[in-house]
Amino acid sequence: MNNTVIENIRSSLGRTEQTPLSLRPAIYESRQPESVDSETEHFLEEVRKVSGVAQKLSPEGVAATLKSLVAENNILKATLWHSPLFERLGIESILRSLGVDIVSPTADKHDMALCDLGITGADYLLPETGTLVLRSSAEQPRAVSLLPRIHLAIVRPEMLRPDLHQVFAEAKDSHYLVFITGPSRTADIELTVTLGVHGPKNLYIWMLENR
Amino acid sequence: MPKAQLFITCLSDQFYTSTLQNMTRLLERLGVELVFPHEQTCCGQPLFNNGFENKTRAVALNFMRAFSKSDAPIIGPSGSCVSMVKHHYPELFPAGTPEHALASDIAARSFEFTEYLVNVLKVTDVGAAYPHKVTYHASCHYLREMGLKTEAKTLLNAVKGLELVPLNEEETCCGFGGAFTVTYPEVSRSMMENKVKNIIASGADTVVMCEPGCLMNVAGGLHKAGSDIRGMHIIDLLVSKEGVV
Amino acid sequence: MSDDTHTYIGFEEYSEHVPPSIPSAVQQATSRFVDGRAARVAELPQWEQLRQIGSDIRLHTIENMDVYLTRLETAVQAAGGIVHWASTAEDARQIVLKIAKEHNVRLAVKSKSMATEEIGLNHALEAAGIEALETDLGEYIIQLAGTGPSHIIVPAVHLKKEEIAALFSEKLNIDAPADPIELARIARETLREKFLAAEMGISGANFLVAETGTLVIVTNEGNGRMCTTMPDLHIAVVGIDKVIPDWESLTVFLKLLARSATGQKLSTYTQFITGPRRAEGEFGPKEFHLVLLDNGRSKVLKDPVGREVFKCIRCGACANVCPVYKNVGGFAYGWFISGPIGAIFAPQMLGTPAARELPYASTLCGACADVCPVKIPIPTILRHLRRRVAQGDDFAASTMPAPIRITASLASLALAQNWIYRFGTRILPFFMRIFKRDSWIPSAPYPLSRWTKARPLPPFTASFRKWWNVRSAKAKPRAGTGTTSE
Repeated sequence: MNNTVIENIRSSLGRTEQTPLSLRPAIYESRQPESVDSETEHFLEEVRKVSGVAQKLSPEGVAATLKSLVAENNILKATLWHSPLFERLGIESILRSLGVDIVSPTADKHDMALCDLGITGADYLLPETGTLVLRSSAEQPRAVSLLPRIHLAIVRPEMLRPDLHQVFAEAKDSHYLVFITGPSRTADIELTVTLGVHGPKNLYIWMLENR
Repeated sequence: MPKAQLFITCLSDQFYTSTLQNMTRLLERLGVELVFPHEQTCCGQPLFNNGFENKTRAVALNFMRAFSKSDAPIIGPSGSCVSMVKHHYPELFPAGTPEHALASDIAARSFEFTEYLVNVLKVTDVGAAYPHKVTYHASCHYLREMGLKTEAKTLLNAVKGLELVPLNEEETCCGFGGAFTVTYPEVSRSMMENKVKNIIASGADTVVMCEPGCLMNVAGGLHKAGSDIRGMHIIDLLVSKEGVV
Repeated sequence: MSDDTHTYIGFEEYSEHVPPSIPSAVQQATSRFVDGRAARVAELPQWEQLRQIGSDIRLHTIENMDVYLTRLETAVQAAGGIVHWASTAEDARQIVLKIAKEHNVRLAVKSKSMATEEIGLNHALEAAGIEALETDLGEYIIQLAGTGPSHIIVPAVHLKKEEIAALFSEKLNIDAPADPIELARIARETLREKFLAAEMGISGANFLVAETGTLVIVTNEGNGRMCTTMPDLHIAVVGIDKVIPDWESLTVFLKLLARSATGQKLSTYTQFITGPRRAEGEFGPKEFHLVLLDNGRSKVLKDPVGREVFKCIRCGACANVCPVYKNVGGFAYGWFISGPIGAIFAPQMLGTPAARELPYASTLCGACADVCPVKIPIPTILRHLRRRVAQGDDFAASTMPAPIRITASLASLALAQNWIYRFGTRILPFFMRIFKRDSWIPSAPYPLSRWTKARPLPPFTASFRKWWNVRSAKAKPRAGTGTTSE
């Protein structure tokens, strides 16, 4: 097909279809990681700076912490990713034992929107900004981190990457990625910061300790 | 003995005779032998900045002729006017022409007054005394085009009795901008009033700057606001001997 | 130049009666962003290096734009997306309308998009009976109010919470309190229903990654995610200037953007969308369309000075530091991109006949260029466009009114023939003495009256030349009398 936009661009730039691409300028070096412990602390600290609630947690502590989260936030309905980790931790059965209704993460969007809590994992973590990186699939539906009023991410230190460079190198072939840095926010009315305008109002991040 | 040519700038020529006299006295006291090319008029910046580049060339040529009779450095009491000569004259003429070569030569030996004192003559204390609370307005072209960030303050800090107090939004434009004052008078006024408000809030009794244009604007604004804070060109402050017995 | 003829932008006329609430509200926002940016920049020792690389990559992309757009098209198609090329605003509107009609769309939810504002898409959709709802809180508010944006990041910053409460109460038939948190909650609930009901999501993009055909959308509220996740149909309308080469380049721009815009290290949500959803249960649109908008950009590319405007990543940092913008607000610029970047964007996109006042809406103070994350030489381009207005160039004839051109010619003559200047210098003080009161000239004749209406003029003294001559004659009869015979 004759593409007039491309033709006009070439004519303005004095180029033809054969004109070779010039060399792209070099990109700066990636940030160097520190020890896992200090990267973990850095990550948690940055999450707190953007109004997230972040803590380290042992696998044994999950049940009790989940119980208090449910109680404090009056959680009646929850949805979660299909994840081997969540199965090992028994997340779904803990929630059921607390009287929480479980909604399938692939349920209709209207049902998903009624959830109080959405639980996800993450594929990568960025310590410098306190960012969760999530891929999308039938097991990891996008709406779980978006529609419920509370988002809980259960993550592990192995997901830490030093910089955007490493995340992009691993994930750029993914058809969908989302970076989540803190809960949904706006300052559109008189510059008053308000959390939870369209996305979740609260973001909890639990970093599972390796042992 | 260093030699220099006085570039008086058209604004100072019209409005600030005493500043030019003080510049002359100060430089001579520092042992500089001065030449004053009478043919100089305006550097052409008002035309250039308003898009009339074609009409700027003739003005620049007049300036270049006037200042090429001596190869001494060219010293002006305005960062803006000096920047015009230093940064924009070479852009006016195509590379390879004699005019371009001359413009580049003139550009290379043009200096703003405080720049010449501090960076060329290496003088930071001119023996002035001014026992007052003084605040400083950083003029835009002096600061950003000429890159003069410390020179004025270095000179002020050496003045006996002078207490330099900070100015909120020191580096924000005062609203002068040459023809801008008459193109968009209301915007210029708001910017000037904001500057005046900050100057009054600084608690200083004198505001000093290195630009005759800003001085006209700010001192006029202070007067209009009924303030008795003095607006001064740094040159006039540097010749002060107030309180020296 | 854009095909839609734009009405004349009267910056001066607007500037003469700026509602006083606008500068104060705008300055609250800008000072917060300026402080935030400064803090983030101070944390990053390689900031200047990043700016330089960002600038280099954007320039490289502009100079090779045909290659990257071709790659982008191929990659989007490979990912299952549909690419449309729109030469004009009308083309773009028709493309979107056609898709919307094919899918029986009645409600479209929109994430903030400059390109759709540029083409007036909302109006076209409404005319076709399709409701187009802005969902960014600020955009939603100004859509309800029926006004334009006053700031690129916080478009409704000129409105007080009381005004917004009254607006919500009237338009939504509720009793809305004047409390920002409550108002945000009301908007959340109202828009939540719309997100779930909409058949189509419309977005722009912050970047288009040519390497993989990926749309990058940066938001804080999550409305961008809603618009691109909930409806089954997603259309992105994006200017061709948003293309970048690859993901490595993106590392640079993501570090520059939020820090420059809001003083965040990264905005809350950054989405990377490559084609439609792959699996039924993952959410996201079944169908993804990308409309690549030219609308005059390809013509602007011909100008090697002016085209640097396309380096812009729409952070708004230049406006936040601009003293002119801070005193007039966004409406004065008469287009959806305001501030210094608008002053160099609009005259190129709309043409100098409509936007000739904008390049002059600056004191050339240079604060904008200092903060621009991709080092756009804004003052240089302002001067370049002033030349286009004043004397005309290869792109447009002069649009400067004749009296000003004649004045400039006379000034040039007087300043180049130094005897005329020097003669004037002698007579002006005598003439101006008529207007002198005490030690000031409180009001002067036109055009200096435009100066004296704000502040008095110092008196014309102009006696240095005489002083020099007398002094030279007395003290040093032969030395330093300069180079004339006067």
